[in-house]
Amino acid sequence: MTVGSIFYLLDSAPYGSEKAFGLLNAAAVSIGRMDVTVGLYGDGVYLALKGQDSQLLAVPNLADILYAYGEMRVIAHEPSLLERGLFFEGLVEMAELADEEAFLEAMVYADCLILL
Amino acid sequence: MKTLTIILTDGPYISEDAQIAYKVARAALKKYQVNIFLYLDAVYIPRMGQNPAFFADEGGLFADLASEGAVIRACSRCAAARGYTAEEDGSTPDYHDGMKITSLYDLPEMIARSDRVISL
Repeated sequence: MTVGSIFYLLDSAPYGSEKAFGLLNAAAVSIGRMDVTVGLYGDGVYLALKGQDSQLLAVPNLADILYAYGEMRVIAHEPSLLERGLFFEGLVEMAELADEEAFLEAMVYADCLILL
Repeated sequence: MKTLTIILTDGPYISEDAQIAYKVARAALKKYQVNIFLYLDAVYIPRMGQNPAFFADEGGLFADLASEGAVIRACSRCAAARGYTAEEDGSTPDYHDGMKITSLYDLPEMIARSDRVISL
């Protein structure tokens, strides 16, 4: 068996830990080797917010990393957005909205699921 | 032979993940090829000289896995950030034998050639 598609699931916010940055790096190096989807769930949806400014944290702007890797499919879990008072219009352009069913389907159809 | 890849992100002792990975890998090695990729704080696991008062030395446990044939690699960016530097062949005096610091690009390679992947 060979793994042809991978789903990286992020459920923690950017900047509070190294997890989001680590997940994006792992996803980036997987591009070209397999189809890559980044699924944002729970606090992970904050990763795709427009207008992030991380200069005072002295860490990279993680939304900019999404822009840098257009081959990466990014889906945001709609119920998680709504629970946090966020709207799809507030996300970066490459993010897709996925309801519960669509999000689950994307996870199920990937050959491999990685939760960081 | 089928291949199992285990991805770890927690350091030793902060959680039971390394212990669980050790037990799963130990059992799997009897029938399968096992790869372990150490990411983020998991790069601390192979460090030599660990001496926990109440737990098993997880560096030693992973050294046993390596000696039994498990391929164990640590992310170079994560390792560098935590003060570990590697020789050209990926070895480092800070780690037990058999575990190397290599590129993050090894991660998708390991995954692509696996029959099952577990992330802890």
